[in-house]
Amino acid sequence: MARTRFKIDTKKNKSFGLNITSMTDMFTILLVFLLQNFAASEVQIDPVDKLRLPTSVSDRNPVDGIKISINQSELKIDQKTIAAVTNNEVDKSSLDPSDSNFIKPLFDELQKINAELVAKKDVKLGRILLQADQELPYSALRKVMYTASMAGFPNLKLVTTVGN
Amino acid sequence: MSRRRFKPQIDHNSEFELDLAPLLAVMVKLVPVLLVSSAFVQMMIIETELPQVVQQAIAKEEKKEKPTVVTLDIDRETGVKVTTNKNGKETVRSVAMVNKTDFNFSGVKEVLIQVKQENPEVFKIEFNPAANVPYKEIVKMMDTVRKSNDNKIQFPVTDEKTGTTTQTDFMFPEVQFSNVTDG
Repeated sequence: MARTRFKIDTKKNKSFGLNITSMTDMFTILLVFLLQNFAASEVQIDPVDKLRLPTSVSDRNPVDGIKISINQSELKIDQKTIAAVTNNEVDKSSLDPSDSNFIKPLFDELQKINAELVAKKDVKLGRILLQADQELPYSALRKVMYTASMAGFPNLKLVTTVGN
Repeated sequence: MSRRRFKPQIDHNSEFELDLAPLLAVMVKLVPVLLVSSAFVQMMIIETELPQVVQQAIAKEEKKEKPTVVTLDIDRETGVKVTTNKNGKETVRSVAMVNKTDFNFSGVKEVLIQVKQENPEVFKIEFNPAANVPYKEIVKMMDTVRKSNDNKIQFPVTDEKTGTTTQTDFMFPEVQFSNVTDG
């Protein structure tokens, strides 16, 4: 007697309904979370690599300005490196020999930017958004503040993260 | 012959399935857009955030020939020294460090509330941090001096235009680093 092989009954043209209720639930939760986190600020500040901002209770949204960042390895304007930072201080080679608080390359760059802003009558004129690492000592920040005010940027805004 | 009224047959026990596919299609498009444009690290700035009445009071104080000056000397060894200079007379109040390592922020706030109650017209404070004070401690100190953060502790502010006195929880919102240009 010949044995017949078991054959699964599959109808190739048969359609089936996918249950998407649970997937919709997941997306709804995700959507609510993302809407809650949506940044309403008009100015976007990108976090700088290897830089931990201090936390503050300030609820003021960022305004437009020249973005200076300083962490434990370098001082930058936007993405351009201006000076090196060693042992939590601006490298001595970038400082003026007659004035230890004056960062010469930063001053030159800011003066160039200032001239462009004056010509364009830009809103960034005189404004600096300073992103500094929370562990840096005041002496390092002071050099940046001093040089910026000398270059015609007296309006300093300290960038912080939201916290208690 | 009586006419029979047409009555649609409704089965109240029947179940139907809601078509969620269009809703899902919208969400699938929205979620990536929001993921790209969301900032997960929310950043803020510290600057003077004053109501107009407070700004007018600051302007009035600045016009004075000898305005009252409140100075905060911050040092990691000696702690915080609050100096008030009113009409040439200097008052110094010191707040020591906690366990010789941490700043006594609540102690500083208590002293500043006292200073503010004595001089409600002053909104500006001068910061003199020592070279070794970390930036995070300075920001924390700025948060401490800005507002009383207590609804029970309010200070009077007079509106120059209307002459009415209102209450504010702002203490010293205008922080100035006075030793930036020192040698």
